[in-house]
Amino acid sequence: MVENARRSAVPSDERGNPTPQWEVFIRNEPGDPMRHVGSVAAANATEAHEHASRLFGWYAADVWLCPADSVERCSTRGLADAADERDTETAGEGADRQTDPESDEPRVDEETEGSPEVRDA
Amino acid sequence: MISISKLLCDLDAEGDGLRYDAAEGSEKPQITDEKQGRPVVVWNTTRRCNLYCSHCYAGAETQPATGEFSTAEGRAFLEQLADYGAPVVLFSGGEPLVREDLVELVSYAADLGLRPVLSSNGTLLTREKAAALRDAGLQYAGISVDGLPERNDRFRGEDGAFDAAVRGIENCLEVGLKTGLRYTITEANAPDLEGVVDLLAEKGLDRFCFYHLDYGGRGAEIVDADLSPREKRAAVKRVADLTLEYHDRGEEIETLLVGNYADAAFLVEYAREEFGEAKARAVYNYLERNGGDPTGERIADVDYQGNVHPTQFWQGYSLGNVRDRPFGEIWEDESNPLLEALRNREERLNGKCADCQYQSICRGASRLRALATTGDLFAPDPQCYLRDEEVRGEGRRSASGGAAD
Repeated sequence: MVENARRSAVPSDERGNPTPQWEVFIRNEPGDPMRHVGSVAAANATEAHEHASRLFGWYAADVWLCPADSVERCSTRGLADAADERDTETAGEGADRQTDPESDEPRVDEETEGSPEVRDA
Repeated sequence: MISISKLLCDLDAEGDGLRYDAAEGSEKPQITDEKQGRPVVVWNTTRRCNLYCSHCYAGAETQPATGEFSTAEGRAFLEQLADYGAPVVLFSGGEPLVREDLVELVSYAADLGLRPVLSSNGTLLTREKAAALRDAGLQYAGISVDGLPERNDRFRGEDGAFDAAVRGIENCLEVGLKTGLRYTITEANAPDLEGVVDLLAEKGLDRFCFYHLDYGGRGAEIVDADLSPREKRAAVKRVADLTLEYHDRGEEIETLLVGNYADAAFLVEYAREEFGEAKARAVYNYLERNGGDPTGERIADVDYQGNVHPTQFWQGYSLGNVRDRPFGEIWEDESNPLLEALRNREERLNGKCADCQYQSICRGASRLRALATTGDLFAPDPQCYLRDEEVRGEGRRSASGGAAD
């Protein structure tokens, strides 16, 4: 029996700096998997595509874009979780910073990816 | 960051000692700086600023922005940096002093073994605040002044900003906090350069960093206000001349250049003109070990929303967000073809950069300026001011030919 990944929701509604962020996905060659390669700042999808094309057009066969705040993110190691854990520690529980000795490794198995345990951030 | 004073003044002994046959084995340059393995991380702790500068790469505003890290998130982020082994965290903004928890975050960074340094407009640096930051472990404060009073205040959007910044510098110096000037050279303020150095040196300041304008943030809107390559060369020469004049008078000011690695090549040429071939080779060898433009390797930026950028000026593209993955994981992920390409750019540089004799100490300078002006990430930097014969290495033995030539 493999332990489920303890992923938490990661806030993604405020990613613009302040220009809206667009997550960029590229496919290198036809038949390759899509790969996330960061985000570009752009006012709209057309600008985002132009911007991403300048950065990756020389490399990728396909470029997909998605508004960063439309992505639901769940992670085993989000920043908010770490901050929450640290707050709990400073509240007097006295645990070490690294409370879980296995926390460097995401506790997810390919077989169980379909049933992750998601906690609210 | 290229230290003119180190290259031209402190390297005297090395330059004298470095013979043409030195590379044959026994005699190594005395400077031992190695290319660092982990990046200096600039953290834009807030977007808010009490000024509104026309060249701000962060596009800072006088109103608070949403989505900035809480104190707890800031501490967790600093833990990410410490876990990864980042040597330095540069607290920047916006204006970092508008954050009420700045002293706490600086103290926590120092406790984690990070070297905390500050980039500020200086106007909020009271003596008490400077002392508190010093006690928290702050190692250095870089304070921005961009011209003599009239020009600086126009640039910064507020009357009295110059005097307030100078008071901030004096407060830092009075409490014993190492302090330096940050001066972004543009067409508008280049004439004030010597005046600002003279004025601040009189007040006891001894470190002066000159930034070239990069084309991100509001800086992108003032590309036209940048110096022409010819003017840029003249400005860099003036800084080099000024450095030598001060040192000749026994005033050992430290002068540095940031943001255009054509400066590295220029300083080799300058050293040859002023001191001869041996010094030029010493300067070249030092700069080669220094590693050229650091974008995506020795410098990183994390904005107030947690987006990771290849430099602080490249706010339009993010490699990932530290809210999603730890900083070190993002920075190590060379499955990102852009990051991999930046780190192995030599094989992709085109135009005059492809065969430039100074490629290994410059590395094409700013990829962001090339991208902004040509749309080609690997085109020559439009602010390269080297002459054609310097690029090709004609008319004299190549500086990159090794000390054994």
